[in-house]
Amino acid sequence: MRRIVVTGMGAISPLAAGVEASWSRLLAGHSGLRRLPDEVVADLGSKIAGTVPTPADDAEAGFDPDRIVPPKDQRKMDRFILLALAAAEEAIEQSGWKPASATEQQRTATVIASGIGGFPAISEAVRTVDQRGVRRLSPFTVPSFLVNLAAGQVSIRHGFKGPIGAPVTACAAGVQAIGDAARMIRAHEADIAICGGAEACINTISLGGFAAARSLSTGFNETPHRASRPFDIDRDGFVMGEGAGIVVIEALEHALARGATPIAELVGYGTTADAHHITSGPEDGAGARRAMEIAIAQAGLRPGDIRHLNAHATSTPVGDRGEIEAIKSVFGRNGEIAVSATKSATGHLLGAAGGLEAVFTVLALRDQTVPPTLNLETPDPAADGIDIVSGAARKMPLDHAISNGFGFGGVNASVIFRRWAA
Amino acid sequence: MRRVVITGTGMVSPLGCGTEATWARLLAGQNAARKVTEFEVEDLPAKIACRIPFGDGTDATFNADDWMEPKEQRKVDPFIVYAMAAADMALADAGWKPESNEDQIATGVLIGSGIGGLEGIVEGGYTLRDKGPRRISPFFIPGRLINLASGQVSIRHKLRGPNHSVVTACSTGAHAIGDASRLIALGDADVMVAGGAESPICRISLAGFAACKALSTQHNDNPEKASRPYDVDRDGFVMGEGAGVVILEELEHAKARGAKIYAEVVGYGLSGDAFHITAPSEDGDGAYRCMQMALKRAGLTAADVDYINAHGTSTMADTIELAAVERLVGEHASKISMSSTKSAIGHLLGAAGAVEAIFSALAIRDNIAPPTLNLDNPSIETKIDLVPHVARKREINVALSNSFGFGGTNASLVLRRYTGA
Repeated sequence: MRRIVVTGMGAISPLAAGVEASWSRLLAGHSGLRRLPDEVVADLGSKIAGTVPTPADDAEAGFDPDRIVPPKDQRKMDRFILLALAAAEEAIEQSGWKPASATEQQRTATVIASGIGGFPAISEAVRTVDQRGVRRLSPFTVPSFLVNLAAGQVSIRHGFKGPIGAPVTACAAGVQAIGDAARMIRAHEADIAICGGAEACINTISLGGFAAARSLSTGFNETPHRASRPFDIDRDGFVMGEGAGIVVIEALEHALARGATPIAELVGYGTTADAHHITSGPEDGAGARRAMEIAIAQAGLRPGDIRHLNAHATSTPVGDRGEIEAIKSVFGRNGEIAVSATKSATGHLLGAAGGLEAVFTVLALRDQTVPPTLNLETPDPAADGIDIVSGAARKMPLDHAISNGFGFGGVNASVIFRRWAA
Repeated sequence: MRRVVITGTGMVSPLGCGTEATWARLLAGQNAARKVTEFEVEDLPAKIACRIPFGDGTDATFNADDWMEPKEQRKVDPFIVYAMAAADMALADAGWKPESNEDQIATGVLIGSGIGGLEGIVEGGYTLRDKGPRRISPFFIPGRLINLASGQVSIRHKLRGPNHSVVTACSTGAHAIGDASRLIALGDADVMVAGGAESPICRISLAGFAACKALSTQHNDNPEKASRPYDVDRDGFVMGEGAGVVILEELEHAKARGAKIYAEVVGYGLSGDAFHITAPSEDGDGAYRCMQMALKRAGLTAADVDYINAHGTSTMADTIELAAVERLVGEHASKISMSSTKSAIGHLLGAAGAVEAIFSALAIRDNIAPPTLNLDNPSIETKIDLVPHVARKREINVALSNSFGFGGTNASLVLRRYTGA
């Protein structure tokens, strides 16, 4: 099988716009979570989220949409597409990939996931129709909410004419985008792929919907930084985040031939279904365990070879518990693997989570540094025997790291990266 | 790579509930388009659609209660109910009922949708506006999420292999089948339940697609005349709804259990136009490349193709596809039949590619090309047989099915008769 390496990364996160700024803040223990304005949260029980900082919020690393898309064109796309374009821009620039020939363009795939897609644009369209009539609906309404238009817009902007894909597997979608893209490269359908996820649905209807499903944290509205607390005994739901995480992956021989610098190697991917319940996984985490086991087998590794795990860990009582059991059953109960839950700092980016966390996992390998899990004050006793990295980032030697993503509908996906030693 | 065959099919279409009923009506030249009466359409430019025939389940009508408990139906958007029905039919048709842990783990699901639960999102918006966010149902999110079609099917049938869902607008169904075939070919699963489902017929999507100038608006008084691919009077597509699901299976797995085989999935091609968000590139290069890639993977040439199920939505883009096909097949044009079944069932968006892949498999099985209805005056001269008005009996061993979507995304599937070799 073809070997696959990561040669570029891009991120727009609640911590910052940009990979390095997001990463340094993550390592420093910053939180991207904040209180939302009253007009958004109305009388909802959950009043916080991880919004991407604006330049006004954050002069150093705020996100300025005008640098990516001219203001008049921003109205033609929902925000998740805008964030995807921005993260893709950064990843593509780092990879140095500028396909010039028709063949190079045709061998470039674009696979960008979203769990929710254009909910906000649909809500806006409903308002337009109700208040101003159907004939005032913009011709850009449909292409602004279609999930595959994140990949479509990136492909149009950069002239990528290979396969286009858009997984929508809820909160596992970002990981599945990377897995799908890797499979396309292995099946020789493409040589290089821009892949990951984007999400931006922090509005009243999505918050109301997830609150109604009893998924969101409601107990920390006055202390947003403390609300996302994976593996802590007081966790009470996830905090919604927005953003995009994109990686450029390519066949190793393709990267070397063009003189690109690999950052890490993608060595394993596994995906399974729980076939259990629409919104919750089984308590024993059996589906999650199998996803990790399949990825480890594909990588030709043993569990002991993997030293770091970026957990799905959304800070929900049931979800974290299932993952804890899965981690113990794969990696043992003696703290052999350093586990981080970076959603403690970013919130849960839903379909973008897997993309962003893949970026963090690759960076952990690059810098031999594992990011901290915030708010782990009283670890859930069920997690006894798991080495959860908390308090501060940890320097440690790492050759392999795994990242998990699980979603509503019972979807599980895991991806494994290997440190690139030149 | 491992070989993949189709061993079961299931369908809910505007022509009926069930693959065989739909196929018989399609071959008989029936047309499903009609005026929309379920909601206000007076202020909409497009007032017609191809609805599923709802009824008590007799005479191939669709009775949702046959497929999902009424209280469960209320929690989900109709595309999920259609997907459940089509998947039940396909699994029964294939005779595949995995009971052992090993068989359940080897079976995955990949059902996509182009726009998913639009109607439910709109309803949620009204609940929010009129009653406040606390009145939103706990089932609002899982009832709208596109991957919950795959999720619900996996839960009902205990299918614990890869669980996936894709969106590529109007090429979703073809991508789902192609991606699922790849999962089997690369060894991630032995059996996949794959296809697409769509329930888009509501005010907001009729208005939205009309705003893109994609819908037919000139035939509101003669709905059956509205979907007319390649005809000079075509003016846009007619929206349809439904679901198509196939059971894909690794060849040796299918043979070992004596499964009936409809056809082999021998090729899958996919490409991006990188041109425009809603319009295809005029040169049809993306469509050409994806057909070519699918044939190359199949180890076939254009001379081997007998039948093409066109994307042919009844928009201006029809002739772009036709030109791409002519470029592909060259001197073999006169040996090829190509029809657009959207002339009878409308455009099922994310379900279209799946339903049309099933039609392509049946065309091989029965050696017959379904007709292109309403093709009274072709807008372009071609040596390709566009199968106007009536089905054509002819030898069909290799069929190609095209699907193209907004965002410039293209997919082609190549199916071949399985002869035991």
